[in-house]
Amino acid sequence: MGKQRVETGSGRRANVVKRQRRASSMRGFYLALSAVVVAGGAFLIWQYMKPKEGARVTDATGPLAAEGYLLGNANAPVQILEFADFECPACSNFSTITEPDVRKRIVEAGLASFRFFDFPLPQHRHTMKASNSAACANDQGKFWEMHDRIFSGQNDWAASRNPKGIFEDYAKEIGLDVGKWEECYEDGRHQTRIEANRAEGERRGVSSTPSFVIGRRLVPGSLPYDVIKAYVDSATAEVSAKTGGNLDDSAKVRIDPKSAVADSTSTP
Amino acid sequence: MVIALLSLVGTFVALYLTLYKVGVIGQLSCSVGSCEAVNTSQWAVFLGLPVAAWGLGAYIVMLCLALAGIHPALEESRTISWALVAISGWSLLFSLWLTYLELFVIHAICMYCVISAIIVAFLFIASLVDLRTREAGGGRREAGDEEPGTRDNEVETAGII
Repeated sequence: MGKQRVETGSGRRANVVKRQRRASSMRGFYLALSAVVVAGGAFLIWQYMKPKEGARVTDATGPLAAEGYLLGNANAPVQILEFADFECPACSNFSTITEPDVRKRIVEAGLASFRFFDFPLPQHRHTMKASNSAACANDQGKFWEMHDRIFSGQNDWAASRNPKGIFEDYAKEIGLDVGKWEECYEDGRHQTRIEANRAEGERRGVSSTPSFVIGRRLVPGSLPYDVIKAYVDSATAEVSAKTGGNLDDSAKVRIDPKSAVADSTSTP
Repeated sequence: MVIALLSLVGTFVALYLTLYKVGVIGQLSCSVGSCEAVNTSQWAVFLGLPVAAWGLGAYIVMLCLALAGIHPALEESRTISWALVAISGWSLLFSLWLTYLELFVIHAICMYCVISAIIVAFLFIASLVDLRTREAGGGRREAGDEEPGTRDNEVETAGII
């Protein structure tokens, strides 16, 4: 049998050399593996941190050139402004998972108001149409219903060639006068308003979606409820300290009458 | 080793797209193509899970198999080689289908998806070479032959895995 064969001296030497070669190649392999782990890990951490590093103080109490879409009391002590793109998954994630809590526990509780601003990104081909659809729903007082439906159905319409049919179904679902909605949609009459909303974000240094302005702070990223609540509490404390506890006259968002684009208050 | 390294690179690519899809990463860094148009499309979800998550699972399984195949106790295992060929072959077919969708249905290209498809193609080729090498080397070892050439085969096999 081969296994019982007595190895010669040269055979042993050859095996030793091969084992050394093998050990050396394994060292190289583990080094390469470590290099990939370090490079890949660093890339992911950089990508994860990138949007969050921008949390900074901004002039949130300055006049708004655009109004966005208001939810809650315009005179609430703290304003939350959301800059979002209807086609961005992180925005959809926020809208479907976190926003219901924010509405119920912060906006309805009167701790803050919430304004949505379109921030359509150029790489998303249907996002302007989605913003247009929501703006047209707002004409009939149902912006938030359309907003919620657009985000929950993002996977369906984002892939379609022309999302109009899907938006039209949403319009029927939420009880809009579809004829009026369609006329508005085809007309594209809210283009200026959508662009004004985006310009408002650019003016405030928004560079990714979703981004939030809470009180005086610009905070990028799909924030969890607890983080938003912490920023609201912090902004409330700041306002309270500034006004000596009189929150009613505090951080009301002023609208620049010269540049504001259409009023937009509606209820969810 | 080649399979393990490729699988690890693929794992990071798929993990990045999965994190984007679940909303952890705000925007994709996509210098070429329209990554977000592809990853927000209806074809970015398969059987209720993001396609990227399926890819992540496949890469992790291939990585584990490849690392196991390097272990001395499993160096001769042809089951591992067959499993690698099967998984990488299936992944390659799936990637080709996704690339077809990008080109002819979504009309947008995601560079990370292309990178992943290339990795999968190389993984399939490397898995085939590994299987062939093991089949050849294993055949001689089964006969109880410990000639120097056999150890060479083992080193080569470990090198591919």
